[in-house]
Amino acid sequence: MAKANLGRRDFLKSAGIATLSLAAIGAGVGYLKKLHASDSKNLLRPPGARDEKDFIYACIKCGLCVQICPVGAVKLADIDHNLSYGTPFIDAREQACDFSCGALQCTETCPTSALNFYKFKDVGEAAIIEYVKEHPNAYQDPEFNPIQYQADKMHREVRMGIAKLNPSSCLAVQGKGFHGTPREQGFRGVYLSVNQGDKEACPVNDHHFDREICDLCVTECPIGDTAIVMKKTEENGAMHFRPEVLEGCTGCGVCEMVCPTSQASIVIVPKNQITEKGGEL
Amino acid sequence: MIKIKKLEPLPPKKKADLPNEKQGLSYKEWQHQHRKRHFWRNLRWSVLLFINIFFVVSFVFDIGLLEGSLSGSRLMGFYLMDPFNSFQQLVIGGETGYWVFLTMNFWIGFSTILIFYWLLGGRTFCSWICPYHFLAEWGEKLHDYLVKKKKIKERTLNRYLKYVFFAGFLLLAFLTQQLVFEDLNPVGILSRTFIYGPSLLVLWVLLLLAVEIFFVKRIWCRYICPIGATYSLLGNLSPVAVGFNLDNCGHCRDCQAVCEVPHVLWFVQRGKATKKVHFTTSDCTHCGLCVDICPGDALKLTLKGVNKLME
Repeated sequence: MAKANLGRRDFLKSAGIATLSLAAIGAGVGYLKKLHASDSKNLLRPPGARDEKDFIYACIKCGLCVQICPVGAVKLADIDHNLSYGTPFIDAREQACDFSCGALQCTETCPTSALNFYKFKDVGEAAIIEYVKEHPNAYQDPEFNPIQYQADKMHREVRMGIAKLNPSSCLAVQGKGFHGTPREQGFRGVYLSVNQGDKEACPVNDHHFDREICDLCVTECPIGDTAIVMKKTEENGAMHFRPEVLEGCTGCGVCEMVCPTSQASIVIVPKNQITEKGGEL
Repeated sequence: MIKIKKLEPLPPKKKADLPNEKQGLSYKEWQHQHRKRHFWRNLRWSVLLFINIFFVVSFVFDIGLLEGSLSGSRLMGFYLMDPFNSFQQLVIGGETGYWVFLTMNFWIGFSTILIFYWLLGGRTFCSWICPYHFLAEWGEKLHDYLVKKKKIKERTLNRYLKYVFFAGFLLLAFLTQQLVFEDLNPVGILSRTFIYGPSLLVLWVLLLLAVEIFFVKRIWCRYICPIGATYSLLGNLSPVAVGFNLDNCGHCRDCQAVCEVPHVLWFVQRGKATKKVHFTTSDCTHCGLCVDICPGDALKLTLKGVNKLME
C-alpha cells in the first residue's frame, strides 16, 4: 500500500512538472502567434492557400507541394519566419510559379486542403461544361484538348497576391528599352514563356530580348492581357509608357522574376498583406 | 465495479530447472553465449535507414515513389499521415469546422496508418522507422557508459507521463489553434532536415539528445513523445508482440538491461511470471534487442494466437 502511494505521489509530481512545461509551451506559442500575425504577411503562399489563420494549422508541413513542383518554386520556411516554420512559400524573385505544371499540382497534392483545390476543380469542370455547350462538336475537334483548356481556366482563378509596380526604377516608365538576357549571370530560375513559344520551362537567361521599350513583364505574363497591359499615353508629343496591373493578376510572380532591373521594379504583394487592409481578392 | 482477478505468481524455479543446467553450462557461460548476436538490430537499422534515405533519394532524383516526409507522405500515390498530427488537426478542425475540408486522401492516409500500426503493434514505428529513435539509441549507449563510469546518476520518471503529454498537446492544439507539437517534433524536424535541408530547429533536437544523454535516459521516447503514446494506445490489441516462454528463461534480466521500455518485460524477474507464456504490452517497440540477447531464446517476436493454433 505504501509503495502504491509512493508511485502515485511520484506520478503526480512528474505530471505537475509536465503540466507546467506544457503551459509554458502554450504561453510561448500564444506569444509567438501574436508576433506571427504581422510576420506571416510577407510570405507569398502557393496557389489556393487558405487564409493565414486557417492555413497555419491546416498545413502539416509534409512538403508534398515542394516535391511535386516541377520548377521548384515552392520552398519551406525556416524558423526565421516564426511559427511558419516548415510551411510552404514562394520566393518569386528567385523562382516564380509559372503554371507549367499544367494543373496546379501543389494544390492538388495537398492532403489537408491547406492549399484548397476544390475551388479550382469546380471552376475547371464548369468551364468544360460551358465550352461543350457552346461548341457541341468539341470532342470531335482534334484541336480541342480538354485537360489543357481546363488547366488554363483554373490558373486564371489563382490569387496568391497582386503585382505592384515601382515606377521610379521601371525601365518602361523611364522610356528605356532592354536588350539582352533579363537576369544576372548564373541565375537559375526557369519559366515557360508562352510568348516565346516554349514547350516546357526554360531558364530565364535562355531567352534573349530586343525591346525598344522594355515590356518583359507584359509579354512574359502567363495570364496575358487580362492581368497586365502596357498603358501608352501621349503628352506634349512624347509617348509615355507604364505597365498596368489589372484584376486578372494571379500573383504568380513571373513578372518579378524576369524584371531586368537590379532590384525588381515590379513585385508581388502577398494576398495576406492585401486582405488585411480590407481589400478583396 | 468489475474486479480484475490478479493471478498469483508461479513458484520460482529451482536451480536444477534453469536452462544452463539443462545444457550443462555454467551460468556465466550460458549467459554470454549470444552477446554477439545482432540479427534483429541489424535488420531494423537497415529498414530504418532505408526508409529515411529512400525519402531523400526519391526527392533528389525525382523518382516519385515515396514523397513527402514523415509528417505526411505518399507511397506510390498512396497517402500516409502521421497519426498525432492528424489528431491535432481533427481537434482544431472540430473546433473551427475545418474538418469538412480535409480531403479523401487525408482520410485514406490516416486510416491506413492506424490499421497498419494496429496490426504491427503500435510502437513498431518508433524503433523501425523513427529517425530520432536511431539517434537516441546511440545516446542511450553513451548514457549507459556514463552511468557505468559513475559520472551521472540513473533517473527514471513515471511511464504514464506520456499520456499526460498526449492529452496536453491536444489541449494546446485546441487552445492555440496551432499544430504546437509539430513545431517541437524531432521526428518531423529530422525528416524535413534530411529531405529539404537543415533548419535551426536541429539545435532543439540536439538539446533533447543532450538531456537524454546527461539527465534522464530516453526521456523523449519513454515519457514525452505523444506520437509514441498514440501508437501505444493503438497497439493495445495488436496481434504482434514479443512472446516469452518461462521454461527457457534463466532470469538473467539482460533483456531488461537492453530494453528501451523495460517494464514491458516485467515477467522475466524471478518469481514474477504468473503464466508459462507471456506477451509484452503495447509500450513494446518490437525492436528485437531482447530477442537477440536472450541466452535461452526465451523471447521471440510472435504473432499472438498463432502459436496456440500450431500446437
